[in-house]
Amino acid sequence: MNGKIIVISSGKGGVGKTTATASIGAALAMEGKKVAVVDMDIGLRNLDVVMGLENRIVFNIVDVARSKCKLTQAAIKSRRIDNLFLIPASQSDNKDALTPQDMIRISKKMRTEFDFILMDCPAGIERGFENAVAAADEAVIVCTPEVSSVRDADRVIGLLYAKEIPSKLLINRIVPAMVERGDMLSHQDVVDVLSIDLVGLVEVDDQVVVATNSGTPLIMQNDSRAGQAFKRIAMRLNGQPDLPIEIPSTSKSLWKKIGSKIGFGK
Amino acid sequence: MIEQTSSVRMKGVGDSLWVTVLPDSPVERIQEDLAKLFDPLRHMAHATRVVLDTGTPDSDDRYRQIHTYLKNTYQLKEIVAPKEKAKHEEKRFKMKNSDNTIAKHSRDTLVLAGRVRSGQSVSARKHLIIMGDVNPGCDLTAGGDILVLGSLLGTAAAGQPNNDEAIILALDFRPLQVKIGNVVAAGLPAKGQGMTEFAHLEDGAIVVESYLSANPFKRMPWPVVR
Repeated sequence: MNGKIIVISSGKGGVGKTTATASIGAALAMEGKKVAVVDMDIGLRNLDVVMGLENRIVFNIVDVARSKCKLTQAAIKSRRIDNLFLIPASQSDNKDALTPQDMIRISKKMRTEFDFILMDCPAGIERGFENAVAAADEAVIVCTPEVSSVRDADRVIGLLYAKEIPSKLLINRIVPAMVERGDMLSHQDVVDVLSIDLVGLVEVDDQVVVATNSGTPLIMQNDSRAGQAFKRIAMRLNGQPDLPIEIPSTSKSLWKKIGSKIGFGK
Repeated sequence: MIEQTSSVRMKGVGDSLWVTVLPDSPVERIQEDLAKLFDPLRHMAHATRVVLDTGTPDSDDRYRQIHTYLKNTYQLKEIVAPKEKAKHEEKRFKMKNSDNTIAKHSRDTLVLAGRVRSGQSVSARKHLIIMGDVNPGCDLTAGGDILVLGSLLGTAAAGQPNNDEAIILALDFRPLQVKIGNVVAAGLPAKGQGMTEFAHLEDGAIVVESYLSANPFKRMPWPVVR
């Protein structure tokens, strides 16, 4: 196996990196890939909570780096989805507990075990970021349609470019009604500034809060539009880059309604 | 009469000659241009290794035609297609060294193409020309003028440290802040597309005007070096 390492990054905190990591990871696993989602937020872990696995943690990634356990011992199997594993962060250390060299070493092992490794990058551009991107093949930049988020995403894209890591853009928490009123940046405004390829557009969705609080996979809720968008993003990352990107809108056309009833338009 | 540019480029790379062929030129013309380049090299052909880059794989007809012509006309040591890896390596090297390359060329007028991103600082000893957009959160500094052929949304300081004659011009002028010499002015938030404007110093204050209607160089009878 020669797994691909994708880092989910943003620069700014609170834009939905962890939700994106959990959802894309779950969707890739449901497509039959063996997936590891890795929480790189040492000291502030929460990917385990989002995935409902916080009570199963025995070892974490810092233990793996310090050779206290094997990688396979730290990987926790998801309760609901086969092929999906979580490698949790340590909660009692800080970002300096790992070095980029540690991550390169662990990543070599991870590539042999998994098809996809998704790194949930912490906010900021310091050591946590350096650790998360150390061995990445590509990056998904999560950005919300707000100027502060765009500014930070822009910075991160530049830093990744200097590290030779190609980036794709995921715009999260789009409110179609606000975009149509002109009160929110449109996805085109964001792309105009960041000028990288889009991997998907995700609209704001109350189901995300429900899924996060209950530790259930968002993509398993068929009525969640965000969940469906993450599914399509996973398909684009998994060998279907040309899958058309749906632009969230308030009005669904009659044909779209009919299409979604009979399984198209997803 | 329009002089045609050559369909073939040649440069020395390591121990080989790297020959790049324009993708849309007819093979006959390429052969003529190759002859111009290789005829003077006949005396050292036997020791010359050529990397033939046609932009297509070596199984391609066009590649084979050119390869056969070179092989039959000049007794070269070896003719090979560029390794994908070498191309990839070149791209990686460019990515890694992009900042160093800019620093190396910033001795005088610096012309850059592409997007300047948040967190980047670009400085030129004399003039700075950016063909592309300048994002918010980046700093441009120049000893002379700053010309942005695109959107200027970042911070620009021209005429550093004390050239009051410098101007800052952008096709879409929406900077966060501009500085000319020692004078600083805050940009005004602009919605949507900005105008083609330029900032210059007038009586110790920065003034922003439409470049097309108030072109400061209109009245100059002949061009002078800035």
